[in-house]
Amino acid sequence: MKSDMGLIVKTMARATIPLIGIFGAYVVSHGHLTPGGGFQGGATIAGAGILFIIAFGLDEAKKRINKNLYSALEGLGGLVFLGAAMLGLGVAFFYNTLWHNGPILNGEPGTLLSAGYLPIMNLAVGLKVYTGLMSAVFAIALFRRWRK
Amino acid sequence: MIFTEFFYGAIAIALAAFITLIRIMLGPSVPDRVVGVDTLNTLVVAGMILLGAAYDRVIYIDIAIVYALLSYIGTLVIAKYLQGGLE
Repeated sequence: MKSDMGLIVKTMARATIPLIGIFGAYVVSHGHLTPGGGFQGGATIAGAGILFIIAFGLDEAKKRINKNLYSALEGLGGLVFLGAAMLGLGVAFFYNTLWHNGPILNGEPGTLLSAGYLPIMNLAVGLKVYTGLMSAVFAIALFRRWRK
Repeated sequence: MIFTEFFYGAIAIALAAFITLIRIMLGPSVPDRVVGVDTLNTLVVAGMILLGAAYDRVIYIDIAIVYALLSYIGTLVIAKYLQGGLE
């Protein structure tokens, strides 16, 4: 049994994987304006990764997915979240100092560059959720002991 | 504020979804149920668009787009499992 799917599914995946990735990035980066946010956008981008594993097969995915990189990026997402939370540590933990007197991300409410540390935290959570879900799904797909 | 024309359309979609649900519950074989779930996904997307128009909220369309993209992956995963799975 071949590990990848037919020509139609592969071509369709080539067209839709960038679409899903871009839409997931939109959901993550507009988390403070529209429904969604870090988790939902990260899970959407992980859906693109699952489509890649399903359409192109495990052998192709083994060449493209580096587990050390994904593990490091998941840790980096958590660290960026904590770092953004500690920016206003002079007043309190999770004090939104970027919004009150920061140099960036304090624009008019309702625009993209507003809401202080929230876009940074959404990006961090999105990165963490995407890499975590992809690592978990890829590890489960590699787990094959029922043949023995 | 509910625009009634769109709301009636959503109710019609809900009726079709119930009929599809009967097929999913009664379907004698697994591919019958998969086709039923795929139809139900498309109907849910149509219902989300109509309800977004009925409640006059543009941001509800985003959720319909995400659902349309991810339901396709779900159907694909089931199809791959039924044709023999990974490896």
